[in-house]
Amino acid sequence: MEKYLLRNIENPNSADINEYVKAGGYKALAKAMDMKPADIIEQVKKSGLRGRGGAGFPTGMKWAFAAADPKMPKYLLCNADEGEPGTFKDRPLLEKNPHLLIEGMIISGHALRAKYGYIYLRGEYPQAKDILEAAIKQAYEKKFLGDNILGRGVKFDLCVHQGAGAYICGEETALIESLEGRRGQPRIKPPFPVNEGFLAKPTVVNNVETFSNVPYVLEIGPEEYSKIGSSDCPGPKLFSVSGHVKKPGVYELPMGTTLRDIIYTHCGGVTGDKKLKAVIPGGISTPVLPADKLDCPMDFVNMPKHGSMLGSGAVMVFDETVDLPKVCLRAIKFFEHESCGKCTPCREGIGWMRSILGRICGGTGNAGDIDLLLEVSKNVMGKTFCPLGDGAATVVQNFIKNFRNEFEAHINNKVRAER
Amino acid sequence: MITVTINGKQIKLEKPVSILEAAKMTGIKIPTLCHHKSLEAYGGCRLCLVEIEKMPRLQASCTQYVTDGMVVWTETGRVVEARKAMLEFLLINHALDCPYCDKAGECDLQDLVMKYGPAAGRFTEGKRKHPESYDDPIIVRNMERCISCTRCVRMCSKVQGASAISMVNRTSKTFVEPFSGGRYNCEYCGNCINVCPVGAIMSRLHKHTYRPWFIEKTVDTVCSFCGVGCSVTAQIRGNSIVRIIPESEKGLNRGLLCNRGRFGYDYISNSGRLKSPMIRKNGSLQETTWSEAFMYIAQKIKEIKEKNGGAAIAGVASGRCTNEDNYVFQKFMRLVVGSNNIDSIAGFAYAPARKFFEKIFGQGVTANPIQGISRSDGIFVIGGDPTAINPVLGLQIRAASQKDIPVATVGYAPGLKGFAANRLIPKPSTEAALLAALLTEMLKRKPLPAEKTPFEEIIGKIQPVSLNEAESACGIASGEISACVDSLSGMTNPALVIGRDIIQRSEGQANLLLLAALAQALNGRIYLSSELPNEQGLIDMGCLPDMLPGGRPVAVDSFRKRYGEFFNAEVPSAQGLSLMEMVEGAHSGNIKALYVMGENIAFNIPDNKFVKDALSRLELLVVQDIFTTETTRFAHVVLPAASWAEREGSYTNLEGRMQHLKKAIDSVAGLEDWKIIAEVSKVLGVDMNYRDSRDILAEIAKVSPLHKGVTYEDMDSGECMWPYKGEPLRHDLNIVGIDMPDMKALLKKPEKDKVYIGVDKVLFHSASLSRNSFALNSIYSEPHAKIGKNLAAKLSVASGDHISISTGAGAIELAAVIDSDMPDNIVLVPNNFEGRGAFRVMGWKMNAAFKAPALDGMEAVLKKLERVSAEVSE
Amino acid sequence: MKLSDKVAAEINSIKSRYQDPRSCLLPSLYVVQKADGWIAPEAMAAVGELLNVPGATVKGVATFYSMFRHKPMGRHLIQLCTNVACLVMGAEELVDILKGKYGLEPNGTSPDGRFSLVIMECIGACGTAPAMLVDTDFHENLNEKNIIDTLENYK
Ligand SMILES: Cc1cc2nc3c(=O)[nH]c(=O)nc-3n(C[C@H](O)[C@H](O)[C@H](O)COP(=O)(O)O)c2cc1C
Ligand code: SF4
Ligand code: FES
Repeated sequence: MEKYLLRNIENPNSADINEYVKAGGYKALAKAMDMKPADIIEQVKKSGLRGRGGAGFPTGMKWAFAAADPKMPKYLLCNADEGEPGTFKDRPLLEKNPHLLIEGMIISGHALRAKYGYIYLRGEYPQAKDILEAAIKQAYEKKFLGDNILGRGVKFDLCVHQGAGAYICGEETALIESLEGRRGQPRIKPPFPVNEGFLAKPTVVNNVETFSNVPYVLEIGPEEYSKIGSSDCPGPKLFSVSGHVKKPGVYELPMGTTLRDIIYTHCGGVTGDKKLKAVIPGGISTPVLPADKLDCPMDFVNMPKHGSMLGSGAVMVFDETVDLPKVCLRAIKFFEHESCGKCTPCREGIGWMRSILGRICGGTGNAGDIDLLLEVSKNVMGKTFCPLGDGAATVVQNFIKNFRNEFEAHINNKVRAER
Repeated sequence: MITVTINGKQIKLEKPVSILEAAKMTGIKIPTLCHHKSLEAYGGCRLCLVEIEKMPRLQASCTQYVTDGMVVWTETGRVVEARKAMLEFLLINHALDCPYCDKAGECDLQDLVMKYGPAAGRFTEGKRKHPESYDDPIIVRNMERCISCTRCVRMCSKVQGASAISMVNRTSKTFVEPFSGGRYNCEYCGNCINVCPVGAIMSRLHKHTYRPWFIEKTVDTVCSFCGVGCSVTAQIRGNSIVRIIPESEKGLNRGLLCNRGRFGYDYISNSGRLKSPMIRKNGSLQETTWSEAFMYIAQKIKEIKEKNGGAAIAGVASGRCTNEDNYVFQKFMRLVVGSNNIDSIAGFAYAPARKFFEKIFGQGVTANPIQGISRSDGIFVIGGDPTAINPVLGLQIRAASQKDIPVATVGYAPGLKGFAANRLIPKPSTEAALLAALLTEMLKRKPLPAEKTPFEEIIGKIQPVSLNEAESACGIASGEISACVDSLSGMTNPALVIGRDIIQRSEGQANLLLLAALAQALNGRIYLSSELPNEQGLIDMGCLPDMLPGGRPVAVDSFRKRYGEFFNAEVPSAQGLSLMEMVEGAHSGNIKALYVMGENIAFNIPDNKFVKDALSRLELLVVQDIFTTETTRFAHVVLPAASWAEREGSYTNLEGRMQHLKKAIDSVAGLEDWKIIAEVSKVLGVDMNYRDSRDILAEIAKVSPLHKGVTYEDMDSGECMWPYKGEPLRHDLNIVGIDMPDMKALLKKPEKDKVYIGVDKVLFHSASLSRNSFALNSIYSEPHAKIGKNLAAKLSVASGDHISISTGAGAIELAAVIDSDMPDNIVLVPNNFEGRGAFRVMGWKMNAAFKAPALDGMEAVLKKLERVSAEVSE
Repeated sequence: MKLSDKVAAEINSIKSRYQDPRSCLLPSLYVVQKADGWIAPEAMAAVGELLNVPGATVKGVATFYSMFRHKPMGRHLIQLCTNVACLVMGAEELVDILKGKYGLEPNGTSPDGRFSLVIMECIGACGTAPAMLVDTDFHENLNEKNIIDTLENYK
């Protein structure tokens, strides 16, 4: 497949505006400036583009909600918090192809009549910050940003806002709180951000990759776009593959590529040709799959039918040597560390799960611990304020469901996970 | 119309509410921990989960709104399991030290565990450790008990507007902390203590002093500190109050209190309370019996009256005493002593301002409900910081500000910093220039109607002042003034909150006229700050030299006659002396006897030295009080009174609401003030014949045209508002006797290099009574002199350095506190601490119109002291 | 404490990008941290003063985010990821090596004050795991040998 999102990134100067323009960049912007905002929204709707941040919400529909709200001003926020462990697909876009994101945001801003955009960039990407800021500066110089974009009287200002190490700020309402200078705790919904978001004004939050798809939709038209990949969630998709594969990295493939294809065709198979044990297909919050469940098309619609989720498309591959309870423990430690502390089950329940897993992995687990763990996870699941707590419960439940024997082995043989 | 079914019960609702609220309406209680009625929904504790048909997940009922046709179940097996699970989670990091914890017995968590638990406690690892913090004198923080409901933090920021505490960290390592990590250094409203559902934030003053089940009796009464009149509940064991909590349902304070109301009541059990009547013998006060004291006073009064006439005797009433006390006192002065010489500290500012506004707009113009402030569309504050003087009223202003209602403040109002969009801080005593410019500009934007009322005609005669003239006089940039006008002109019915500082001035009357004109131009409602709980009431009771009960002027024959006829006695026709004139009279020898009820005039009137000098010349000084004060030291007779908690009666607050003060405990030594006076009266041959305060109120209800038929039951119903059941005086449209301000004189600039002294109103103190509160002293134990940063730099003084402040009247030494917000040429000193009050160094200066102190233009010389301040000698 | 003129000026210039001064809080804390290496309580108060945010609130915000430092740090800050991808690729061994070579404990500073070590959640380098950030530089595909070679470039 021809690359679009990662087009030109082999070029060492890909982040430079001139290189980007040379490769055909900012053409879609010119086109968009000649379109009515409502028509852009219509095209995005027609394209079938779904948000790439994890939930797969139809982008055009989200925009239409915000556009319909009469409140002004409107804000456009880019979710560049990329915090889901295993996910590093937005990073090449941010570091190597920043103008694609910027172009996508300007077009989106125009579509929504938003005058201000912010890129909420995770604190862990300091280099991306410098690259984005340089790129934004160039875009201002070329009059792609500012008070009078391309002389069309359209205004759009954009700047980078750096997060400071909080996974929960990837959740859109927590992101907004954080951008407002508060503790990044999720807000009650409704009101949804499209009605009351940043500074209580209608706000659209989209993922980096989502915005980066927008110029493509305009470039090839919604009909062509909708023909790429899966029929009900089309388009190119970035997969970040890590763990025990020969060629880990970020791959741009059509939506709906199977997990098996990703691992064996594109990434060259398991490192050292060892046996595959498990795969987490969409970032750590998505259910782990055993090695015999690889023939699922990776998209928002089909993955749930196969017992997992597309999430952020972060494929983590574990070979036969991996101690899965230990992976599970590390994942739960992550959730414990990232719980915002607002709601009871997440704040207290995850720590409890961590301590049970800790004793299992530490070789001091008790016979009833697996059931207790499941019970605690059940008490967390579905009762938290936001989906973060569910993510933790999902991890525990699916690791045990698929690999219970490994947990039992730790308990029965009193083996300590290495170290 | 929305129809919902909760546990099989159907209800219909006009507008969507949360499931929690809807359930409450049908009498179904859903358990919560993070929810509080004063706060917005939070959704954190997850205890309120309920089952909703057609929804696969349980939903939090505090955040989920009802929709038409929704079917909700609040106690299904699934729900109960979930609640149990939440409680089990909460107990993971909750210290299970209930036997030691003061909250036991009134702990929401404990109650819920008893109902849904007992959780099996399957969590076996160690709990979070966090030693109890005793860094603060008032608040104990035990973060091992905190359940992260954040009620305290939300209360502190959203309701109190103080934002003194915050949740720090995240995850289960989250806890509540003040900025310093130790001492709170906050406003000590204690509202955080009140809303904590567990024992995480508790009052240190009450630590281990009680258990909820020790409380034998509760009495709903009214706070004794300021003119707001918050409803409080006294919790009593034996004959002592173990705790004061806000009354949350009926009171105008809606469950809020300030530091004074919540913690300051402990003065009543101070061991320094007066225990016995005393008579001066051989130069010193010696204990005596009540009857001897009554005889002595009566004898002396009789003598003086016979020799010098009733006019040589004067009485000082008190805004801390009840309506009943004050009524009996003025009756005694007028009918028994035969003198209209009765006044109080309320005569310094509250009464003249009220009289002035009533002259223009009619009686009762300042009687506006406090709750209306947060519902108005704009607020203008001048003359003092309401958040310090009338804290719970101040919260109304902050609440309005948080709803984006524009607030403008004139003068140094630190408690409203961050809440006022327009903050104008003029140079000392130049408010008139600013007000005149505001008025001039306002009238340009909204001219007065062509058909003029008499007052509008008067306004028309006020000389206009330009923005530039105002700028050069008061030092505020004209742009800032006009920005304030922009904001004012958008208001349609704003609240004007007016404090003492603007009234107790040489140009006080000009200020009031300009404010009245502004009120007219803005269509504003006037609120007068009131520092004592019953200033309004004592005025209504006739404790003014020119007013009879019910706000009837002494000067009008028919009123005087009606009043006299009622008692078959004659009311003297000559207007009495103001408090300041009484002191002058004592000094000059015209006043021979002064009868003081519950007031510390030797301290609370500027120029303490002059006052003391005057008092020492009296033939008779009678003082009723609950403590030894600067004034009792000069008394010939001192009589111990019952404290606020030890008497029944009524207070009338600044909004004109009469409230029932109930007796909570018995007085060990003191008598009600009215009773003492009635006894003296009896010896003088007039038997007042009251059995209790009810009898007095019944008489008031007959005598005062305003209080027709008023009863305590009316007050208990909660809405006994001005004009009660009676008739205010008809308003005379012809406004006479208003002097036009001389603008030229008012535009004179203050001298640049001079420093003037002003009175700092401290949130933690209330005149001189609060110095007897252990709690309030532990929050604020030392007076400070506040200065601005430029003045501090000029003196090379840092916060904490000691300075001396000297004026023509005397000198004091205090530690300095620097507040970068203060104007340059002023030093503010509180008047609460013995020997070091502002009035010690403020001279005797009378505002001729009000016959009350003018506190302006008192020059001071400040010097940095190298040594740490020494004791200040008398 | 007063913020240095440079820090205050930088904060004021960032403020103009936002419609609401409070939004500038995180960026301001970054400015302070960049200048001082950490965020002292006095600095929080000063930032609060500048943005009209109460001190306790600033503290609540500053302590919520894990990348703000509340004590002085070594000259160089090593932020080493040990999340799942890095874990299975050997990150734990690297922690041991840092301890052995520099006496570094997680959340600690080497005795010579040269390095501080913070264990990170995923830093978005899973395809090139294990990985770390030293100050603001990414170092990826680490192993027992090249981690020391890399760090030796930081004096
Ligand atoms: C706990 C949590 C973490 C999330 N983290 C991210 C993230 O790092 N990046 C992201 O784009 N979306 C993340 N999301 C999803 C966002 O809430 C939101 O759905 C997304 O930004 C919308 O953009 P999209 O429609 O373009 O996908 C997260 C959601 C949750 C509940
Ligand atoms: S589930 Fe609750 S505690 Fe966890 S991150 Fe979401 S709101 Fe915060
Ligand atoms: S009351 Fe609903 S979650 Fe706490």
